[in-house]
Amino acid sequence: MTLASLAARNLLRNKVRTSLTLLGVAVAVVTFLLLRTVVAAWTGGAEFAAKDRLVTRHKVTFVMPLPKRYIEDIRAMPGVKASTYCNWFGGKDPKHEREFFGQFACDDGYFDVMSEQQVSPEELAAYKADRTGAIIGESLAHVMGWKVGEVVNLETGIYPADTPWTFTIRGTYRATSRNVDKSSFFFHWDYLNQALPEARRDTIGWTISRVDDPARTAEIGVAIDRAFDDKDTQTLSQDEHTFQASFLAGFSAVLHAFDAISLAILLIMTLILGNTIAMGVRERTQEFATMRAIGFMPAHLRWFVVGEAGVLGLFGGALGVAIAFPLIQGMLGRFLEENMGNIFPVFRLPFGATVAALGLAVALGVAAALLPARTAARVKVTDALRKLA
Amino acid sequence: MNKPDDILIRLRGITKTYERGGESLCILESLDLDVPRGSFAALMGPSGSGKSTLLNLIAGLDKPTAGTIDIGGERIDKLSEARLAKFRASSVGFIFQSYNLLPVLTAAENVELPLLLAPVAASERRRRAQTALRVVGLEDRMDHFPRQLSGGQEQRVAIARAIVNDPLLLVADEPTGDLDRKSADEILTLLETLNEKLGKTIIMVTHDPAAAARAGVIHHLDKGRLSVEAHGEVHA
Amino acid sequence: MLIPIRYNLRSLVVRRATTLATALGISLVVWVLASAMMLAEGVRRTLGSAGRADVAIVLRNGSDAELGSTVEEQQVGLVLAMPGVRREGGQPIGAGETVVIIAAEKVGSAGVSNLQLRGITETGEKLRPTVKLQDGRRPTPGADEAMIGSKIRGRFKGIELGQSFDIKKNRPIAIVGVFEDGGSAHESEVWVDGDIVRSSFGRGATVSSVRVKLDALESFDTFKTHVEQDKRLGLLAMRETDYYEKASEGTGKFIRILGTLIAMCFALGAMIGASNTMYASVANRRREIGVLRALGFSRIGILISFLFESVLLALLGGVIGVVAALGTGSLKFSVLNQSTWSEMVFSFQPTPSIILGSLVAAAVVGILGGFLPAVRAARVSPLEALRG
Ligand SMILES: Nc1ncnc2c1ncn2[C@@H]1O[C@H](COP(=O)(O)OP(=O)(O)O)[C@@H](O)[C@H]1O
Ligand SMILES: [Mg+2]
Repeated sequence: MTLASLAARNLLRNKVRTSLTLLGVAVAVVTFLLLRTVVAAWTGGAEFAAKDRLVTRHKVTFVMPLPKRYIEDIRAMPGVKASTYCNWFGGKDPKHEREFFGQFACDDGYFDVMSEQQVSPEELAAYKADRTGAIIGESLAHVMGWKVGEVVNLETGIYPADTPWTFTIRGTYRATSRNVDKSSFFFHWDYLNQALPEARRDTIGWTISRVDDPARTAEIGVAIDRAFDDKDTQTLSQDEHTFQASFLAGFSAVLHAFDAISLAILLIMTLILGNTIAMGVRERTQEFATMRAIGFMPAHLRWFVVGEAGVLGLFGGALGVAIAFPLIQGMLGRFLEENMGNIFPVFRLPFGATVAALGLAVALGVAAALLPARTAARVKVTDALRKLA
Repeated sequence: MNKPDDILIRLRGITKTYERGGESLCILESLDLDVPRGSFAALMGPSGSGKSTLLNLIAGLDKPTAGTIDIGGERIDKLSEARLAKFRASSVGFIFQSYNLLPVLTAAENVELPLLLAPVAASERRRRAQTALRVVGLEDRMDHFPRQLSGGQEQRVAIARAIVNDPLLLVADEPTGDLDRKSADEILTLLETLNEKLGKTIIMVTHDPAAAARAGVIHHLDKGRLSVEAHGEVHA
Repeated sequence: MLIPIRYNLRSLVVRRATTLATALGISLVVWVLASAMMLAEGVRRTLGSAGRADVAIVLRNGSDAELGSTVEEQQVGLVLAMPGVRREGGQPIGAGETVVIIAAEKVGSAGVSNLQLRGITETGEKLRPTVKLQDGRRPTPGADEAMIGSKIRGRFKGIELGQSFDIKKNRPIAIVGVFEDGGSAHESEVWVDGDIVRSSFGRGATVSSVRVKLDALESFDTFKTHVEQDKRLGLLAMRETDYYEKASEGTGKFIRILGTLIAMCFALGAMIGASNTMYASVANRRREIGVLRALGFSRIGILISFLFESVLLALLGGVIGVVAALGTGSLKFSVLNQSTWSEMVFSFQPTPSIILGSLVAAAVVGILGGFLPAVRAARVSPLEALRG
């Protein structure tokens, strides 16, 4: 027998309480991990953004387009390897009024610049050969039930037309990185442009450029903006990371709220652990006094209580991770990725948060035990023993 | 075996006062006490007279307000908390009225408990616990938990725990208080054996004149004062 | 025969550290739940109070929001001439407005967010009689001047009275006034002369939407029928109240669902905590319970007494949580609104039903968490009183 095995026996003494505590910690850990996964899924795109890509858009507002000729100037800039452009279409399928997904009218070089969106060569060729062709994300195809070859109609308030816009789905793309959406709809910019009235033709929403040296991305961005500074439409070039991060800035309050709630969960966990440990210590006053009489030191008892809490935290945390892993990675993650790919392209348990959750469960258990440990160490031996006699 | 002047416990001018509600309560007042090595002393007195207080002072659980306590040549009233804990671990064996065994440990493990504080290997701990349990006659109950034992058996396990580290001194605070006559007799016989065969010095607090009669000497504590009574003159 | 409440109160006081720890756990549940509901209510009120039932808004078919809608200039006149539009001195009351989004740097945090810029006409305020000037003056029509909603004041770089922002290179717009509108969505907007917005953003001869004042609440149907009848116009009409109701739907629902989900997870944790506490309470009082049973209190009486204690504990947490949520409510919550693509500032809006609902949720946590321990208490036999 060792002190550790004595501590372990004490945990098994009150099985209902220990199970409830482990369950409580596990629930807290699962909730914590769920929240962190939501935050990671939401902000993850920015973290995985390509470092060698630049997005150039209208300086004042993203709803206003740039003149089409800008693309030629950008392609001619030193350091720019390739450049493509898109327009936001903002349409809806009248048969699926409530489904939101992004549609983009892009030039045919798009899938070369955005290499993380992979289309098979055959489908890409079929797409390029069809003026009204479209390439859609696998997740979108799943949600809408669209098949290759199917004809789809879309309506939009941005580009009014007498009859709905008609497209033929020519292929799907697979996203190979977290930073790209899995549920977008791409079609030919030329198709859009030719259908527009004269006055609205030849504009592009934004350009995406690949640079040859990732270290010079920012510098090239500044050069692009300087080149258009004297024209009537100024531009703002940001690397993909900044671009996505600035979009998230609008949701910073939501992210702060998530942080606050995560903190509250940790607090609940601490309260549950602290309460259990405190109850255990209160009930064992006599035993602690006996151990002191036998010659154990206050420090022994302190370690004893803290160790018990740490073990409780560790097992509770491990149980939580064991529940969270299949829940998030398997069931929920797969479901969200397939059905809400536009908001959560990648819904996966972040490794860092998982380790942090385990560490925090132990650390907070220890922290919660500090007060009860002090109580245990300070037991007045003679008084505690008198209460028995 | 022992020279009569070989004094193990020497108390001089022991005073203990408690502060209660602003006024101080003097429980022990200028007590002197000598207990020879190898003796079996009983401590009697009315309830609340301070028997447990005195026993706790001797055992190094508490400190006197004034006076000196010398145990085997060591002034324990001067020791720090940490040194006192070491003193208790190595030199004192406790026997409580309500046994105070840890309910989650088996009999053998309860006996082993004090050895965790000494640098003793696990196998050696096990062996010594077994020996101590053999002394109290419970070798066959080693793996039983306290709730599977009778009161008398529990107290014998507690005695095994008290002797396992071979202390100088055994202190027992009303060890038979919770037991029936027969079990109490067994415990007293066991204490006598420990005193006679193993030479343990024992101080035992008791209410029971029959129990006190087993001791070699009886000290009476009343209104803060001690008086000694030779063996055989107990009954009034 | 019921056990006196004093018995439960004393038991909670005796175990005050445990009582408090458990109550705090429950208070966190209530805090999350009440805050989320208050925020969702805030979103509903903010967007809801922007609309008026006697105003109709006309958009391009297929658009949900002004931002994605384009209406040709010459169609504005046609819409204003429709039956059902109120006239004063022979002039119809209504106007085409242009809505765009501008990027603005947030103050106090890195990042750029979007602000809604509304190009208005002089009729704009007639359609919104609740708009009041809070500070400064109204912009002069045709001048490069703007007034801003009180909620975004000082939250973005340049968006403050006396400062200016660039609508275009070297074209600063001076902010000369701050307005308020009873907490509505307009308070998160920047208002500039419509012609300036259109020319600066090259919108040509189009606007985003047309708003008209109806001559009576019931005229809406006539107006709608006329607008949507002419398929060549390709326009749709909505009551302004319905338009904003729809706009608040997404964000409000998102907050409400998320808040409820998180609160449910929390509640599970808190319930477990309450169970633990009540189990300990029962275990420590077995003898007491035995005595009560021996005195003649029934099993049901014991069960009710312990359930009651658990609910009391939970309500204590509920009250702490509601107070904390009311404290959070003094904060402003600024978030990108899904339907307008621009940042809007919402406040937490407490209502009696939210507060009551939160306390009920706490009580439910208490009942569920306390049930099994109470059953265990009720099972204690009167013989326990005799045990040592
Ligand atoms: N910590 C304390 N504070 C105040 N009074 C105490 C304390 N410990 C013991 N006493 C008092 O000292 C007296 C002697 O106690 P004790 O030694 O336990 O008596 P005995 O063991 O002889 O029955 C009692 O009156 C008791 O109330
Ligand atoms: Mg006593």
